[in-house]
Amino acid sequence: MVWIDIANLLINGLVEGLVVALPALAMTLVMGVNRFPNAATGDLMTAGAFGAVVMQLWMGWPLWLATVAGMLATALLSAGAYQTIFRKLAGRPMVSSMLAAIGLGFLVRSLIGFFAGHDQRTFDLPLVRAWNFGGVRILPTDLNIAALAIACLAVVFLLLYRTSFGRQLRAVADNADLARASGIRAHGLMLKLWLLVGALSALGGVLLGMKAVVSPEMGWDNLLPAFAAMVLGGIGSPLGAVLGALLLGVAQELAVPLLGPSYKLVLSFAVLALVLLFRPAGIMGRVQLVR
Amino acid sequence: MLAYLCAIGIVALIYCLLSLGLNLQFGLTRLVNFGVVAFFAIGAYTSGLLSLQGVPLVLCFVAAGALAGLMALPIGLLSLRLRDDYLAIVTLGFSEAVRITIQQEAWLTHGVQGVPGLPKLFAALGGSATDVAIFITLLAVATLVAVGTVRLAGSPFGRLLKAIGDDEPALEALGKDPTWTKVQVFMLGAALAGVAGAFYAHFITFISPEQFIPLITFYVWMGLVMGGAGTVRGAVFGSLLLMVFLEGSRFAKDWIPGVSEVGMASLRLAAVGLALILVTLYKPNGLFEDKSR
Repeated sequence: MVWIDIANLLINGLVEGLVVALPALAMTLVMGVNRFPNAATGDLMTAGAFGAVVMQLWMGWPLWLATVAGMLATALLSAGAYQTIFRKLAGRPMVSSMLAAIGLGFLVRSLIGFFAGHDQRTFDLPLVRAWNFGGVRILPTDLNIAALAIACLAVVFLLLYRTSFGRQLRAVADNADLARASGIRAHGLMLKLWLLVGALSALGGVLLGMKAVVSPEMGWDNLLPAFAAMVLGGIGSPLGAVLGALLLGVAQELAVPLLGPSYKLVLSFAVLALVLLFRPAGIMGRVQLVR
Repeated sequence: MLAYLCAIGIVALIYCLLSLGLNLQFGLTRLVNFGVVAFFAIGAYTSGLLSLQGVPLVLCFVAAGALAGLMALPIGLLSLRLRDDYLAIVTLGFSEAVRITIQQEAWLTHGVQGVPGLPKLFAALGGSATDVAIFITLLAVATLVAVGTVRLAGSPFGRLLKAIGDDEPALEALGKDPTWTKVQVFMLGAALAGVAGAFYAHFITFISPEQFIPLITFYVWMGLVMGGAGTVRGAVFGSLLLMVFLEGSRFAKDWIPGVSEVGMASLRLAAVGLALILVTLYKPNGLFEDKSR
């Protein structure tokens, strides 16, 4: 039955979309507040995944603890990068921050490659059989990944819309001068934002590693899908980034029978191009952020 | 020794052409092209594949420049009417899309195995005379482009480009539409990268997708930013610096014991990353600052 294949692809696409939603959300937050596409997001994912791999496989920690350690380390790396690099580039042309982000990405990726090697690694996960509902197969691992991603997204949205941190952040994203005039301390807020960005990207990396493999290039390979998801959702819109990632994930999976798995990245690019052609503001975006 | 110097000189001049193209786009007009390698690859594959069909090399080179320039048209139209970071994202994505397409469409490009046995430029001369002839031709082309850029920068069109780079809203307020001008410059820079790709293909005589990774783009960026974007001198110095770095890191492998080939590649990537960060932080106008701009 054809619909069973489609259902399987759909499920897989949703899970992949949920994973990409995390870096896409991290990227759109930086875009909305610091106003540059953070090209180091992918390599922050790699850093998180390797942090967790090192802790689980080399130190023998349980996976959840290793994941927390990976997130923590990446959050510190991300906030450190903001403190030493991007804070100083604020107010300079966008290209400065973006070049520095590319440089940071190269640095992180190459150091991981140098010290951990280029072998592909996998997390030590219990082997489980897929549940089979009349041909529709669901992997328990995928369910765990989806649940973790949804829980993480819920926490971030609570932070953004139900806490003083989120209110301040949205105020700065809306109008940085007005926010400063209203007495919001931008610096501490930015450090918190970059901690969040690092942790979010790191969890995305760990989940991606659970779904596939961990390698120094994994994050870079997922940078373009995260970009495409961000633009599709509308730059600067947190909900848009999640919706964009889900749509992109499903589109990528549904295209696999037609184009083959190698063309996933090209499809991301095609989605990016189509959005810019027909609706540059994306699903939820505001036009003034586009032009 | 002469052969070695000649080979280095040729590669440096190829980077110089790429750098001059990027200088037109970014240096003069502030167009952020993060997909330099895509147009380089399109040029190399166009020229290489055509030459295998028996097309004369001169026509191959023309086709390489033309196709690379034409491929820049939709990319430019797509993103140049939007905020400038879109061009950066789109070109970066384009370069990956091009590389994967080359990898996958083996019927046309031989896929991951690459295309061996391309005819070498001036092969008829034989021996080291071939390389010297390639070097001199490249030097002539690069000089022509450099002189052309200087002339262009001083012309009314060049002033328009600088105005786009400096203050686009002001230009729009004067009633000029910069989009088409930007598209033209973007295409011109891409065509130059295409020609550089053709030179590369017919010097190395073997092309494969893994030669056209995004790192190449950022080699060119690193060189241009270090040399000082916006000036021809910056583009030329930048590509020389880049060559010293690339060759130097090859020799450094012999001095640093216990580092493998792969490890060295990682260290080189780390150095590029660090250089990009440090230069944008501390020397945004290049190592030889040009106070006039």
